[in-house]
Amino acid sequence: MPLDTSTYHLSLLRLDGRRWNELRRLHAQISTQASADGSSYLEMGNTKIICTVSGPAEIRGGGRREGVERDNAVVNVEVGVAGFSGMDRKRRRGDKRTTEMQNTIASAFTSTLFTHLYPHSTISINLHILSQDGSLLAVCLNAATLALIDAGVPMKDYIVACTSGLTPPASTLGGSRGGNSETSDPLLDLNGMEEQELPFLTGAGGTVGGDVGGGGGWV
Amino acid sequence: MPFTITAPAPPVPIAYNGPSDSDSADSEGDIDMGPPSKRARLSTKSIVTPGEIVTDDPQWMRGHGTYTSPLTSAILSSVSGTLQKTNKLLSIAPLRARYTPEIGDLVVGRIVEVQTKRWKVDLSAPLLAHLPLSAINLPGGILRKRTSTDELAIRSFFSEGDLLVAEVQSMYQDGAASLHTRSLKYGKLRNGVFLAVSGTGGGGGVVRARRQVWTVLTGNGGGEVDMVLGVNGYIWICKHSRGELVEGKGGAQVSIMRIEDVVGESMYSNRNDEIGPATRREIARLSGVVRALVERGVRVDEEMVMRGYEASLEGEETDYEYGEAGGENGEYLGGERGKRVVETALAAVHAARG
Repeated sequence: MPLDTSTYHLSLLRLDGRRWNELRRLHAQISTQASADGSSYLEMGNTKIICTVSGPAEIRGGGRREGVERDNAVVNVEVGVAGFSGMDRKRRRGDKRTTEMQNTIASAFTSTLFTHLYPHSTISINLHILSQDGSLLAVCLNAATLALIDAGVPMKDYIVACTSGLTPPASTLGGSRGGNSETSDPLLDLNGMEEQELPFLTGAGGTVGGDVGGGGGWV
Repeated sequence: MPFTITAPAPPVPIAYNGPSDSDSADSEGDIDMGPPSKRARLSTKSIVTPGEIVTDDPQWMRGHGTYTSPLTSAILSSVSGTLQKTNKLLSIAPLRARYTPEIGDLVVGRIVEVQTKRWKVDLSAPLLAHLPLSAINLPGGILRKRTSTDELAIRSFFSEGDLLVAEVQSMYQDGAASLHTRSLKYGKLRNGVFLAVSGTGGGGGVVRARRQVWTVLTGNGGGEVDMVLGVNGYIWICKHSRGELVEGKGGAQVSIMRIEDVVGESMYSNRNDEIGPATRREIARLSGVVRALVERGVRVDEEMVMRGYEASLEGEETDYEYGEAGGENGEYLGGERGKRVVETALAAVHAARG
Protein backbone atom coordinates (compact mmCIF):
# COMPACT_ATOMS: atom_id res chain seq x y z
CA MET A 1 0.00 0.00 0.00
CA PRO A 2 1.53 3.34 -0.97
CA LEU A 3 1.92 5.82 1.82
CA ASP A 4 -0.67 8.53 1.53
CA THR A 5 1.35 11.55 2.57
CA SER A 6 -1.52 13.93 2.08
CA THR A 7 -3.42 12.55 5.03
CA TYR A 8 -0.54 11.29 7.12
CA HIS A 9 2.08 13.73 8.21
CA LEU A 10 5.57 12.69 7.20
CA SER A 11 7.04 13.58 10.54
CA LEU A 12 4.78 10.98 12.14
CA LEU A 13 6.48 8.21 10.23
CA ARG A 14 9.03 6.07 11.99
CA LEU A 15 12.68 5.72 11.09
CA ASP A 16 11.99 2.94 8.61
CA GLY A 17 8.97 4.66 7.10
CA ARG A 18 6.27 2.78 8.94
CA ARG A 19 3.27 4.28 10.64
CA TRP A 20 2.78 3.67 14.34
CA ASN A 21 0.65 0.58 13.87
CA GLU A 22 2.38 -1.06 10.96
CA LEU A 23 4.22 -4.33 11.19
CA ARG A 24 7.38 -5.10 9.33
CA ARG A 25 7.39 -7.55 6.46
CA LEU A 26 6.61 -11.02 7.71
CA HIS A 27 7.95 -14.03 5.86
CA ALA A 28 7.45 -17.52 7.21
CA GLN A 29 8.28 -20.98 5.98
CA ILE A 30 7.43 -24.32 7.48
CA SER A 31 9.07 -27.76 7.13
CA THR A 32 12.36 -26.22 6.10
CA GLN A 33 14.49 -29.09 7.39
CA ALA A 34 13.53 -32.59 6.45
CA SER A 35 15.63 -34.18 9.18
CA ALA A 36 13.85 -32.44 12.03
CA ASP A 37 10.46 -33.44 13.38
CA GLY A 38 9.34 -29.90 12.84
CA SER A 39 11.04 -26.81 11.54
CA SER A 40 10.32 -23.28 10.51
CA TYR A 41 12.05 -20.17 9.23
CA LEU A 42 10.67 -16.79 10.19
CA GLU A 43 11.68 -13.33 9.07
CA MET A 44 10.16 -10.30 10.70
CA GLY A 45 11.75 -7.38 8.96
CA ASN A 46 15.44 -7.99 9.35
CA THR A 47 15.14 -10.37 12.28
CA LYS A 48 15.61 -13.86 10.90
CA ILE A 49 15.29 -17.07 12.86
CA ILE A 50 15.43 -20.77 12.09
CA CYS A 51 13.62 -23.03 14.50
CA THR A 52 13.81 -26.80 14.68
CA VAL A 53 11.80 -29.03 16.98
CA SER A 54 12.76 -32.57 17.82
CA GLY A 55 10.60 -34.80 19.84
CA PRO A 56 8.67 -35.66 21.80
CA ALA A 57 11.38 -38.25 22.29
CA GLU A 58 12.83 -40.11 25.22
CA ILE A 59 16.22 -38.77 26.14
CA ARG A 60 18.21 -41.45 27.81
CA GLY A 61 19.18 -40.75 31.38
CA GLY A 62 17.43 -37.39 31.34
CA GLY A 63 14.39 -38.52 33.25
CA ARG A 64 16.06 -40.83 35.68
CA ARG A 65 18.58 -38.34 36.93
CA GLU A 66 15.88 -36.28 38.54
CA GLY A 67 14.82 -39.29 40.55
CA VAL A 68 11.12 -38.72 40.09
CA GLU A 69 8.93 -40.14 37.38
CA ARG A 70 7.70 -37.33 35.21
CA ASP A 71 4.11 -37.42 34.10
CA ASN A 72 4.56 -34.60 31.63
CA ALA A 73 6.90 -33.96 28.78
CA VAL A 74 9.67 -31.48 29.40
CA VAL A 75 10.13 -28.58 27.04
CA ASN A 76 13.75 -27.76 26.40
CA VAL A 77 14.64 -24.56 24.62
CA GLU A 78 18.02 -23.67 23.26
CA VAL A 79 18.65 -20.30 21.69
CA GLY A 80 21.75 -19.92 19.57
CA VAL A 81 22.83 -16.48 18.51
CA ALA A 82 24.96 -16.52 15.40
CA GLY A 83 28.13 -14.46 15.58
CA PHE A 84 27.23 -12.60 12.42
CA SER A 85 23.68 -11.83 13.48
CA GLY A 86 24.22 -8.49 15.16
CA MET A 87 26.15 -5.32 14.58
CA ASP A 88 29.09 -6.37 16.71
CA ARG A 89 30.55 -9.79 16.69
CA LYS A 90 30.63 -11.08 20.22
CA ARG A 91 30.52 -14.36 22.01
CA ARG A 92 27.33 -14.69 23.92
CA ARG A 93 27.46 -18.18 25.32
CA GLY A 94 25.79 -18.28 28.64
CA ASP A 95 24.49 -14.81 28.14
CA LYS A 96 21.94 -13.80 30.78
CA ARG A 97 19.63 -12.38 28.16
CA THR A 98 19.69 -15.56 26.10
CA THR A 99 19.11 -17.68 29.18
CA GLU A 100 16.16 -15.57 30.18
CA MET A 101 14.71 -15.88 26.70
CA GLN A 102 15.11 -19.66 26.81
CA ASN A 103 13.29 -19.86 30.12
CA THR A 104 10.51 -17.56 28.95
CA ILE A 105 9.92 -19.56 25.78
CA ALA A 106 10.07 -22.87 27.65
CA SER A 107 7.52 -21.80 30.23
CA ALA A 108 5.27 -20.34 27.56
CA PHE A 109 5.16 -23.58 25.62
CA THR A 110 4.98 -25.80 28.69
CA SER A 111 1.66 -24.17 29.45
CA THR A 112 0.22 -24.36 25.96
CA LEU A 113 1.44 -27.76 24.76
CA PHE A 114 -0.37 -30.89 25.88
CA THR A 115 2.65 -32.19 27.71
CA HIS A 116 0.61 -34.71 29.70
CA LEU A 117 0.22 -36.80 26.54
CA TYR A 118 3.93 -37.56 26.48
CA PRO A 119 5.15 -38.70 29.90
CA HIS A 120 8.90 -39.21 30.38
CA SER A 121 9.74 -37.56 27.07
CA THR A 122 11.33 -34.34 26.02
CA ILE A 123 10.37 -31.81 23.38
CA SER A 124 13.39 -29.78 22.39
CA ILE A 125 13.10 -26.51 20.58
CA ASN A 126 16.23 -25.14 18.95
CA LEU A 127 16.23 -21.55 17.82
CA HIS A 128 18.99 -20.14 15.68
CA ILE A 129 19.07 -16.39 15.38
CA LEU A 130 20.60 -15.58 12.02
CA SER A 131 20.00 -11.87 12.02
CA GLN A 132 18.75 -9.61 14.77
CA ASP A 133 16.89 -6.38 14.34
CA GLY A 134 14.61 -6.07 17.31
CA SER A 135 11.63 -8.07 18.61
CA LEU A 136 13.85 -11.10 19.20
CA LEU A 137 11.65 -12.75 21.81
CA ALA A 138 8.52 -12.20 19.77
CA VAL A 139 10.03 -13.67 16.64
CA CYS A 140 11.42 -16.63 18.61
CA LEU A 141 7.98 -17.40 20.01
CA ASN A 142 6.32 -17.11 16.63
CA ALA A 143 8.94 -19.28 14.94
CA ALA A 144 8.68 -21.90 17.68
CA THR A 145 4.89 -21.98 17.34
CA LEU A 146 5.22 -22.66 13.63
CA ALA A 147 7.80 -25.39 14.14
CA LEU A 148 5.71 -27.07 16.84
CA ILE A 149 2.66 -27.07 14.59
CA ASP A 150 4.82 -28.61 11.89
CA ALA A 151 6.02 -31.25 14.33
CA GLY A 152 2.43 -32.16 15.08
CA VAL A 153 2.74 -31.64 18.81
CA PRO A 154 -0.75 -31.13 20.24
CA MET A 155 -1.26 -27.67 21.67
CA LYS A 156 -4.11 -25.62 23.04
CA ASP A 157 -3.56 -22.67 20.80
CA TYR A 158 -1.07 -20.73 18.77
CA ILE A 159 1.32 -18.58 20.74
CA VAL A 160 1.69 -15.34 18.88
CA ALA A 161 3.84 -12.49 20.07
CA CYS A 162 4.64 -8.93 19.15
CA THR A 163 6.43 -6.01 20.72
CA SER A 164 5.01 -2.62 21.37
CA GLY A 165 6.85 0.48 22.51
CA LEU A 166 6.06 3.93 23.70
CA THR A 167 7.39 7.17 22.24
CA PRO A 168 8.32 9.99 24.57
CA PRO A 169 5.59 12.66 24.77
CA ALA A 170 5.65 15.21 21.96
CA SER A 171 6.21 18.08 24.34
CA THR A 172 9.53 16.74 25.48
CA LEU A 173 10.78 16.81 21.92
CA GLY A 174 10.32 20.57 21.57
CA GLY A 175 7.07 20.39 19.65
CA SER A 176 8.76 19.52 16.41
CA ARG A 177 6.47 16.59 15.76
CA GLY A 178 3.42 16.89 13.55
CA GLY A 179 1.04 15.57 16.16
CA ASN A 180 -0.50 17.94 18.64
CA SER A 181 -0.88 15.47 21.47
CA GLU A 182 0.80 15.90 24.77
CA THR A 183 0.67 12.20 25.45
CA SER A 184 3.16 9.62 24.23
CA ASP A 185 2.25 7.44 21.29
CA PRO A 186 2.36 3.68 21.13
CA LEU A 187 4.38 1.90 18.47
CA LEU A 188 3.88 -1.59 17.15
CA ASP A 189 6.65 -4.04 16.27
CA LEU A 190 9.84 -2.19 17.15
CA ASN A 191 12.94 -2.64 15.08
CA GLY A 192 16.44 -2.72 16.47
CA MET A 193 17.01 1.01 16.52
CA GLU A 194 13.70 1.79 18.15
CA GLU A 195 14.27 -0.93 20.68
CA GLN A 196 17.46 0.75 21.84
CA GLU A 197 15.77 4.10 22.34
CA LEU A 198 12.32 3.34 23.64
CA PRO A 199 10.76 1.37 26.45
CA PHE A 200 9.00 -1.66 25.05
CA LEU A 201 7.08 -4.75 26.01
CA THR A 202 6.70 -8.10 24.31
CA GLY A 203 3.16 -9.37 24.41
CA ALA A 204 2.35 -12.98 23.72
CA GLY A 205 -0.78 -14.98 23.89
CA GLY A 206 -3.21 -17.27 22.22
CA THR A 207 -6.08 -16.38 20.02
CA VAL A 208 -9.05 -16.40 22.35
CA GLY A 209 -11.90 -18.68 21.46
CA GLY A 210 -9.99 -20.24 18.65
CA ASP A 211 -10.79 -17.43 16.22
CA VAL A 212 -7.63 -17.92 14.24
CA GLY A 213 -6.88 -15.18 11.81
CA GLY A 214 -9.62 -13.04 13.23
CA GLY A 215 -7.29 -11.29 15.58
CA GLY A 216 -8.47 -12.38 18.98
CA GLY A 217 -7.65 -10.52 22.15
CA TRP A 218 -4.48 -10.76 24.13
CA VAL A 219 -4.57 -12.91 27.17
CA MET B 1 25.40 -5.90 -18.40
CA PRO B 2 22.48 -5.82 -16.03
CA PHE B 3 20.99 -9.16 -15.28
CA THR B 4 17.56 -10.03 -14.03
CA ILE B 5 16.51 -12.76 -11.70
CA THR B 6 13.23 -14.28 -12.68
CA ALA B 7 11.05 -15.75 -10.02
CA PRO B 8 11.04 -19.54 -9.99
CA ALA B 9 7.98 -21.21 -11.41
CA PRO B 10 5.58 -22.40 -8.74
CA PRO B 11 5.79 -26.13 -8.14
CA VAL B 12 3.18 -28.14 -9.97
CA PRO B 13 1.13 -30.01 -7.41
CA ILE B 14 1.01 -33.70 -8.01
CA ALA B 15 -2.57 -34.79 -8.47
CA TYR B 16 -2.71 -38.14 -6.83
CA ASN B 17 -6.08 -39.13 -5.53
CA GLY B 18 -7.66 -38.27 -8.82
CA PRO B 19 -9.77 -35.19 -9.36
CA SER B 20 -10.80 -34.47 -5.79
CA ASP B 21 -14.40 -33.59 -5.25
CA SER B 22 -13.77 -30.03 -4.22
CA ASP B 23 -17.41 -29.05 -4.53
CA SER B 24 -18.28 -29.13 -0.84
CA ALA B 25 -15.07 -29.10 1.09
CA ASP B 26 -13.12 -26.17 -0.29
CA SER B 27 -15.77 -23.80 -1.52
CA GLU B 28 -17.25 -23.25 1.90
CA GLY B 29 -14.65 -21.65 4.07
CA ASP B 30 -16.90 -22.14 7.03
CA ILE B 31 -15.57 -24.33 9.79
CA ASP B 32 -18.86 -25.19 11.44
CA MET B 33 -20.15 -28.37 10.05
CA GLY B 34 -23.87 -28.02 10.42
CA PRO B 35 -26.06 -31.04 10.83
CA PRO B 36 -24.16 -34.25 10.27
CA SER B 37 -25.03 -36.35 7.30
CA LYS B 38 -26.31 -39.85 7.87
CA ARG B 39 -23.40 -41.58 6.22
CA ALA B 40 -20.06 -40.95 7.84
CA ARG B 41 -17.79 -38.91 5.69
CA LEU B 42 -14.43 -40.32 6.54
CA SER B 43 -12.20 -37.57 5.33
CA THR B 44 -12.80 -34.05 4.22
CA LYS B 45 -10.22 -31.93 2.54
CA SER B 46 -10.55 -29.06 4.99
CA ILE B 47 -7.56 -28.44 7.20
CA VAL B 48 -7.81 -27.22 10.76
CA THR B 49 -5.02 -25.78 12.89
CA PRO B 50 -4.49 -25.71 16.68
CA GLY B 51 -7.05 -23.76 18.63
CA GLU B 52 -9.59 -23.75 15.85
CA ILE B 53 -13.18 -24.57 16.73
CA VAL B 54 -14.11 -27.78 14.98
CA THR B 55 -17.70 -27.80 16.04
CA ASP B 56 -20.05 -26.22 18.59
CA ASP B 57 -22.50 -29.05 18.31
CA PRO B 58 -22.59 -31.09 21.55
CA GLN B 59 -23.64 -34.28 19.77
CA TRP B 60 -20.12 -35.01 18.52
CA MET B 61 -17.58 -36.98 20.47
CA ARG B 62 -14.01 -35.82 20.47
CA GLY B 63 -11.25 -38.13 19.28
CA HIS B 64 -7.53 -37.77 18.71
CA GLY B 65 -6.18 -34.34 17.96
CA THR B 66 -9.01 -32.48 19.64
CA TYR B 67 -9.76 -31.04 23.04
CA THR B 68 -12.55 -29.23 24.81
CA SER B 69 -12.11 -26.10 26.81
CA PRO B 70 -13.82 -25.76 30.16
CA LEU B 71 -15.38 -22.45 29.11
CA THR B 72 -17.39 -23.68 26.17
CA SER B 73 -18.80 -26.97 24.99
CA ALA B 74 -17.09 -26.58 21.64
CA ILE B 75 -14.57 -29.10 20.35
CA LEU B 76 -11.29 -27.49 19.39
CA SER B 77 -8.45 -28.84 17.34
CA SER B 78 -5.05 -29.37 18.96
CA VAL B 79 -3.02 -30.27 15.89
CA SER B 80 -3.03 -29.13 12.30
CA GLY B 81 -4.44 -31.70 9.98
CA THR B 82 -7.48 -33.01 8.24
CA LEU B 83 -10.77 -33.61 9.95
CA GLN B 84 -12.02 -37.16 10.07
CA LYS B 85 -15.48 -38.24 11.07
CA THR B 86 -16.30 -41.76 12.04
CA ASN B 87 -19.98 -41.94 12.94
CA LYS B 88 -20.14 -39.50 15.84
CA LEU B 89 -16.44 -39.37 16.54
CA LEU B 90 -14.40 -36.40 15.42
CA SER B 91 -10.67 -36.74 15.12
CA ILE B 92 -7.92 -34.81 13.42
CA ALA B 93 -5.31 -36.72 11.44
CA PRO B 94 -2.16 -34.60 11.76
CA LEU B 95 -0.32 -33.54 8.63
CA ARG B 96 2.98 -34.50 10.20
CA ALA B 97 3.56 -36.19 13.49
CA ARG B 98 5.85 -38.60 15.20
CA TYR B 99 4.94 -42.24 15.03
CA THR B 100 2.58 -43.48 17.72
CA PRO B 101 2.77 -47.25 18.21
CA GLU B 102 -0.30 -49.43 17.97
CA ILE B 103 -0.64 -53.12 18.72
CA GLY B 104 0.14 -55.25 15.69
CA ASP B 105 2.32 -52.70 13.91
CA LEU B 106 5.27 -54.06 12.02
CA VAL B 107 8.19 -51.84 12.91
CA VAL B 108 11.87 -51.57 12.21
CA GLY B 109 13.88 -50.42 15.18
CA ARG B 110 17.35 -49.88 16.48
CA ILE B 111 18.65 -51.14 19.81
CA VAL B 112 19.83 -48.22 21.92
CA GLU B 113 20.21 -49.80 25.33
CA VAL B 114 20.80 -53.26 26.72
CA GLN B 115 19.44 -54.03 30.17
CA THR B 116 19.54 -57.25 32.16
CA LYS B 117 16.34 -58.77 30.86
CA ARG B 118 15.33 -56.52 28.00
CA TRP B 119 16.46 -54.17 25.28
CA LYS B 120 15.35 -50.60 24.68
CA VAL B 121 14.53 -50.00 21.03
CA ASP B 122 14.32 -46.73 19.17
CA LEU B 123 11.25 -46.63 16.95
CA SER B 124 11.23 -42.85 16.48
CA ALA B 125 8.23 -42.84 18.80
CA PRO B 126 7.90 -40.49 21.79
CA LEU B 127 9.19 -43.25 24.05
CA LEU B 128 11.70 -46.04 23.55
CA ALA B 129 10.11 -49.43 23.05
CA HIS B 130 10.93 -52.48 25.18
CA LEU B 131 11.96 -55.81 23.81
CA PRO B 132 11.95 -58.35 26.63
CA LEU B 133 14.36 -61.25 26.45
CA SER B 134 11.33 -63.51 26.76
CA ALA B 135 9.86 -62.15 23.54
CA ILE B 136 12.57 -63.24 21.14
CA ASN B 137 13.31 -66.54 19.50
CA LEU B 138 16.11 -68.06 21.50
CA PRO B 139 18.62 -70.25 19.71
CA GLY B 140 18.34 -73.97 20.08
CA GLY B 141 14.68 -74.40 19.31
CA ILE B 142 11.61 -72.26 19.53
CA LEU B 143 9.44 -71.65 22.54
CA ARG B 144 12.19 -72.50 24.96
CA LYS B 145 12.05 -70.90 28.34
CA ARG B 146 14.73 -68.29 28.84
CA THR B 147 17.43 -69.19 31.27
CA SER B 148 19.97 -67.25 33.25
CA THR B 149 22.55 -68.25 30.65
CA ASP B 150 20.55 -66.35 28.08
CA GLU B 151 20.47 -63.34 30.38
CA LEU B 152 24.23 -63.36 30.63
CA ALA B 153 24.61 -63.69 26.89
CA ILE B 154 22.04 -61.00 26.12
CA ARG B 155 24.47 -59.05 24.00
CA SER B 156 25.03 -62.02 21.74
CA PHE B 157 21.44 -61.70 20.49
CA PHE B 158 21.17 -57.96 20.12
CA SER B 159 23.63 -55.30 21.15
CA GLU B 160 23.60 -51.53 20.85
CA GLY B 161 23.13 -50.27 17.32
CA ASP B 162 21.64 -53.46 15.92
CA LEU B 163 18.62 -53.12 13.68
CA LEU B 164 15.66 -55.42 13.97
CA VAL B 165 12.22 -55.93 12.59
CA ALA B 166 9.55 -56.69 15.15
CA GLU B 167 5.88 -56.44 15.92
CA VAL B 168 4.26 -54.33 18.61
CA GLN B 169 2.87 -56.84 21.06
CA SER B 170 1.37 -54.62 23.71
CA MET B 171 1.34 -51.08 24.98
CA TYR B 172 2.33 -49.82 28.40
CA GLN B 173 0.25 -47.31 30.29
CA ASP B 174 2.52 -44.42 29.32
CA GLY B 175 2.34 -45.18 25.61
CA ALA B 176 5.58 -47.10 25.30
CA ALA B 177 5.46 -50.18 23.11
CA SER B 178 6.49 -53.71 23.97
CA LEU B 179 7.83 -55.65 21.01
CA HIS B 180 8.23 -59.28 20.12
CA THR B 181 10.19 -61.11 17.45
CA ARG B 182 8.72 -64.55 18.04
CA SER B 183 8.34 -65.34 14.39
CA LEU B 184 10.76 -66.19 11.66
CA LYS B 185 9.58 -63.10 9.83
CA TYR B 186 11.09 -60.94 12.54
CA GLY B 187 14.55 -60.64 13.95
CA LYS B 188 17.88 -59.06 13.34
CA LEU B 189 18.49 -57.25 10.07
CA ARG B 190 21.58 -57.53 7.93
CA ASN B 191 22.67 -57.56 4.27
CA GLY B 192 21.05 -54.26 3.42
CA VAL B 193 20.53 -50.55 3.84
CA PHE B 194 18.50 -48.54 6.29
CA LEU B 195 16.30 -45.59 5.41
CA ALA B 196 14.39 -43.31 7.72
CA VAL B 197 11.37 -41.46 6.38
CA SER B 198 8.48 -39.98 8.29
CA GLY B 199 6.00 -42.54 9.48
CA THR B 200 2.23 -42.55 9.37
CA GLY B 201 0.28 -39.36 9.15
CA GLY B 202 -0.03 -36.99 6.28
CA GLY B 203 0.66 -37.38 2.62
CA GLY B 204 4.13 -38.87 2.61
CA GLY B 205 5.52 -41.63 4.70
CA VAL B 206 4.87 -45.28 5.27
CA VAL B 207 1.24 -46.31 5.24
CA ARG B 208 -0.19 -48.61 7.86
CA ALA B 209 -2.30 -51.71 7.19
CA ARG B 210 -0.87 -52.74 3.86
CA ARG B 211 1.63 -55.41 3.00
CA GLN B 212 4.87 -54.23 4.49
CA VAL B 213 7.27 -57.06 3.82
CA TRP B 214 7.69 -58.35 0.33
CA THR B 215 10.30 -59.58 -2.08
CA VAL B 216 11.17 -57.70 -5.23
CA LEU B 217 12.45 -59.61 -8.23
CA THR B 218 14.83 -56.94 -9.45
CA GLY B 219 15.94 -56.29 -12.97
CA ASN B 220 19.49 -56.06 -14.32
CA GLY B 221 20.42 -59.35 -12.73
CA GLY B 222 20.03 -58.05 -9.21
CA GLY B 223 18.28 -61.14 -7.97
CA GLU B 224 15.70 -60.99 -5.20
CA VAL B 225 15.63 -58.08 -2.80
CA ASP B 226 13.52 -57.85 0.36
CA MET B 227 11.76 -54.64 1.32
CA VAL B 228 10.66 -54.09 4.90
CA LEU B 229 8.55 -50.99 5.46
CA GLY B 230 8.21 -50.33 9.15
CA VAL B 231 5.08 -48.40 10.07
CA ASN B 232 7.30 -46.10 12.10
CA GLY B 233 8.97 -44.83 8.95
CA TYR B 234 12.09 -46.94 9.23
CA ILE B 235 12.75 -48.93 6.09
CA TRP B 236 15.09 -51.82 5.47
CA ILE B 237 16.09 -52.95 1.99
CA CYS B 238 18.24 -56.06 1.87
CA LYS B 239 19.32 -58.99 -0.18
CA HIS B 240 16.79 -61.79 -0.05
CA SER B 241 17.77 -64.61 2.20
CA ARG B 242 16.11 -67.95 2.51
CA GLY B 243 13.98 -68.69 5.49
CA GLU B 244 13.71 -65.21 6.93
CA LEU B 245 11.50 -62.32 6.09
CA VAL B 246 9.43 -64.46 3.80
CA GLU B 247 5.72 -64.15 3.77
CA GLY B 248 3.54 -66.48 1.76
CA LYS B 249 6.25 -67.88 -0.44
CA GLY B 250 5.65 -71.59 -0.63
CA GLY B 251 9.13 -72.67 -1.59
CA ALA B 252 10.85 -70.81 1.18
CA GLN B 253 8.65 -71.91 4.02
CA VAL B 254 10.75 -73.42 6.72
CA SER B 255 9.36 -76.59 8.14
CA ILE B 256 8.88 -76.79 11.86
CA MET B 257 11.66 -79.35 12.10
CA ARG B 258 14.24 -77.15 10.48
CA ILE B 259 13.47 -74.05 12.51
CA GLU B 260 16.12 -75.03 14.97
CA ASP B 261 18.88 -74.86 12.38
CA VAL B 262 17.75 -71.55 10.95
CA VAL B 263 17.43 -69.92 14.32
CA GLY B 264 20.70 -71.32 15.47
CA GLU B 265 22.78 -70.38 12.50
CA SER B 266 21.83 -67.06 11.05
CA MET B 267 19.28 -65.42 13.29
CA TYR B 268 21.67 -63.41 15.39
CA SER B 269 24.65 -63.30 13.08
CA ASN B 270 26.40 -59.97 12.79
CA ARG B 271 28.12 -60.85 9.57
CA ASN B 272 26.84 -59.83 6.17
CA ASP B 273 26.60 -62.35 3.37
CA GLU B 274 28.36 -61.83 0.11
CA ILE B 275 26.32 -59.37 -1.94
CA GLY B 276 27.05 -59.04 -5.63
CA PRO B 277 27.49 -55.67 -7.34
CA ALA B 278 24.28 -56.12 -9.35
CA THR B 279 22.27 -56.71 -6.17
CA ARG B 280 23.88 -53.74 -4.47
CA ARG B 281 22.96 -51.58 -7.44
CA GLU B 282 19.32 -52.65 -7.30
CA ILE B 283 19.18 -52.12 -3.54
CA ALA B 284 20.50 -48.62 -4.13
CA ARG B 285 17.92 -48.06 -6.82
CA LEU B 286 15.09 -49.16 -4.54
CA SER B 287 16.28 -46.83 -1.82
CA GLY B 288 16.44 -44.07 -4.43
CA VAL B 289 12.83 -44.76 -5.36
CA VAL B 290 11.77 -44.49 -1.72
CA ARG B 291 13.70 -41.24 -1.30
CA ALA B 292 12.16 -39.79 -4.46
CA LEU B 293 8.67 -40.73 -3.25
CA VAL B 294 9.27 -39.11 0.12
CA GLU B 295 10.74 -35.99 -1.43
CA ARG B 296 7.58 -35.42 -3.45
CA GLY B 297 5.29 -36.20 -0.51
CA VAL B 298 3.88 -39.40 -1.95
CA ARG B 299 2.88 -42.23 0.36
CA VAL B 300 5.28 -45.15 0.58
CA ASP B 301 3.69 -48.57 0.19
CA GLU B 302 4.15 -51.68 -1.88
CA GLU B 303 2.24 -50.42 -4.88
CA MET B 304 4.02 -47.08 -5.11
CA VAL B 305 7.47 -48.57 -4.54
CA MET B 306 6.94 -51.22 -7.19
CA ARG B 307 5.54 -48.77 -9.73
CA GLY B 308 8.37 -46.39 -8.99
CA TYR B 309 10.90 -49.15 -9.36
CA GLU B 310 9.45 -50.17 -12.73
CA ALA B 311 9.48 -46.53 -13.81
CA SER B 312 13.12 -46.15 -12.79
CA LEU B 313 14.05 -49.22 -14.81
CA GLU B 314 12.25 -47.86 -17.86
CA GLY B 315 13.97 -44.53 -17.40
CA GLU B 316 17.31 -46.22 -17.46
CA GLU B 317 16.61 -47.98 -20.73
CA THR B 318 15.81 -44.70 -22.43
CA ASP B 319 18.85 -43.11 -20.88
CA TYR B 320 21.07 -45.75 -22.35
CA GLU B 321 20.01 -44.64 -25.79
CA TYR B 322 21.40 -41.19 -25.17
CA GLY B 323 24.80 -42.52 -24.32
CA GLU B 324 26.97 -43.63 -21.49
CA ALA B 325 26.13 -40.76 -19.17
CA GLY B 326 22.68 -42.13 -18.46
CA GLY B 327 24.09 -45.46 -17.43
CA GLU B 328 26.60 -43.81 -15.16
CA ASN B 329 24.07 -42.35 -12.79
CA GLY B 330 21.31 -44.80 -13.45
CA GLU B 331 20.70 -45.40 -9.74
CA TYR B 332 20.65 -41.75 -8.85
CA LEU B 333 17.03 -40.76 -8.52
CA GLY B 334 17.28 -37.15 -7.37
CA GLY B 335 16.24 -33.97 -9.07
CA GLU B 336 14.55 -34.15 -12.45
CA ARG B 337 14.96 -37.88 -12.80
CA GLY B 338 13.32 -38.57 -9.45
CA LYS B 339 10.47 -36.29 -10.41
CA ARG B 340 9.98 -38.13 -13.65
CA VAL B 341 10.04 -41.51 -11.93
CA VAL B 342 7.45 -40.46 -9.36
CA GLU B 343 5.20 -38.96 -12.01
CA THR B 344 5.41 -42.08 -14.13
CA ALA B 345 4.63 -44.21 -11.08
CA LEU B 346 1.63 -42.06 -10.16
CA ALA B 347 0.35 -42.25 -13.70
CA ALA B 348 0.74 -46.03 -13.64
CA VAL B 349 -1.22 -46.28 -10.40
CA HIS B 350 -3.93 -44.12 -11.90
CA ALA B 351 -4.10 -46.24 -15.01
CA ALA B 352 -4.30 -49.42 -12.94
CA ARG B 353 -7.21 -48.07 -10.94
CA GLY B 354 -9.05 -46.98 -14.07
